[in-house]
Amino acid sequence: MTFYFYTVLFLLLLPLQASLLAPLSRIGLAPDLGLAVLYLIGILAGPVEGALAGVATGLLLDISSASLIGMSGLTRGIVGLAAGFLGTSILDTGSPSNMIFLAFFSFVEAFMTTLYLDATYGAFPLLSLFFGHILPRTAVTAITGYWLLRIALRKNVLGLIRRRELQKEL
Amino acid sequence: MSGFVDKNRKYLIVLAVFLLLFWLVTLQVKAGRFTLFERPVLAVSGFFERIITGIYNSGLSVVKRYVFLVRTERENSRLRDEVTRLRLENQITSELLAENERLREALAFQKEASRSGVTVHVIAKESSPASVTFTVNKGSLQGLDRDLPVVTPDGVVGKIQTVLPETAKIQLITDPGSIIAVRVQRNREEGLLEGKLDRCMLKYVSYYMDVQEGDLLVSSGLDGIYPKGMPVAIVTKVRKHEASSFQTVFAEPVVRFARLEEALVLKK
Repeated sequence: MTFYFYTVLFLLLLPLQASLLAPLSRIGLAPDLGLAVLYLIGILAGPVEGALAGVATGLLLDISSASLIGMSGLTRGIVGLAAGFLGTSILDTGSPSNMIFLAFFSFVEAFMTTLYLDATYGAFPLLSLFFGHILPRTAVTAITGYWLLRIALRKNVLGLIRRRELQKEL
Repeated sequence: MSGFVDKNRKYLIVLAVFLLLFWLVTLQVKAGRFTLFERPVLAVSGFFERIITGIYNSGLSVVKRYVFLVRTERENSRLRDEVTRLRLENQITSELLAENERLREALAFQKEASRSGVTVHVIAKESSPASVTFTVNKGSLQGLDRDLPVVTPDGVVGKIQTVLPETAKIQLITDPGSIIAVRVQRNREEGLLEGKLDRCMLKYVSYYMDVQEGDLLVSSGLDGIYPKGMPVAIVTKVRKHEASSFQTVFAEPVVRFARLEEALVLKK
């Protein structure tokens, strides 16, 4: 059940992000839905599931865009792992501090990718990318992620999935 | 040792996956981008994208048609298409005129074969921290093929990277993997324009080459993909380094990708 749920979720995330949120990208305010959902999985399901979910979403993103296969898979895997460790350490999973953590992860992911591209291809306009793309996207992703986390906690989404899985096994 | 492995088996698997991905990325830097599972993933996402965009556009069009007069809207749409076509023709004609003048001076004449186009609508914009691509609503069934140039009346958008029967993925000229042969329109100096995510950079520009801010870069046609003379980018920054024999030249694409809704794919 969890596997099918994740597969459908990840495959739906791509078109949702690419088509429904595309109008928001005109004004540079499209959140990174994949990263927000990944953070949520990491916080709620733990580091290993977070890391594997990150690798899966990242690879799908790499395949559907023109970036090198594995680049987002790697960065998102690390984000999922870090979010998972964070989830096991913090007491209040619904705390607004999640916005800061998600913003930090989003920023680090984008910045590290840009640095890697700069090191590989050379002469990337880091400052303009930072202020024009990375910073606005980080802020919107953090707010969206926190909002999704609040909904997930209120509806106990992960609990429902797990419960059905256990019922099936029993 | 085996106790440590048993205890941390899951984390070791995750670490192995990370190392594998890092190795994959490093391989592609040299060998070029792999296209693993590209077609099935794009087929699934393209299917949902067409449904979502269809629903979104239908909703939008219902509202529009009730608010505005139906006839006016249709006429407007037809005229807009006409203007788009005429602007594109005008752009090509201006460049051909300039070219004609130069060729007359050299007493040589050259005729470029005209290319037919397919109008495509953008149905999705995929963006990752490392790249930005667009998906359009037409594919191989409509005669689209890999590496065909995508343009608008304003200038070059990019080229087709992957084609499926009913959708296609466009690699924008700002994508880090994109390289296009260009020429400075003012003085015909040549260069290679490489994508840098939010802008482009003119590569291998020698220290003594005459490039100025505001210069229009047009496609030179030397890459065999883009038609000659299409506007590509405008030079926004020129930096000369005393220690280097090259100058750094950044350019902004003439097409505003954030507002791009439809484009023309030029067939061979």
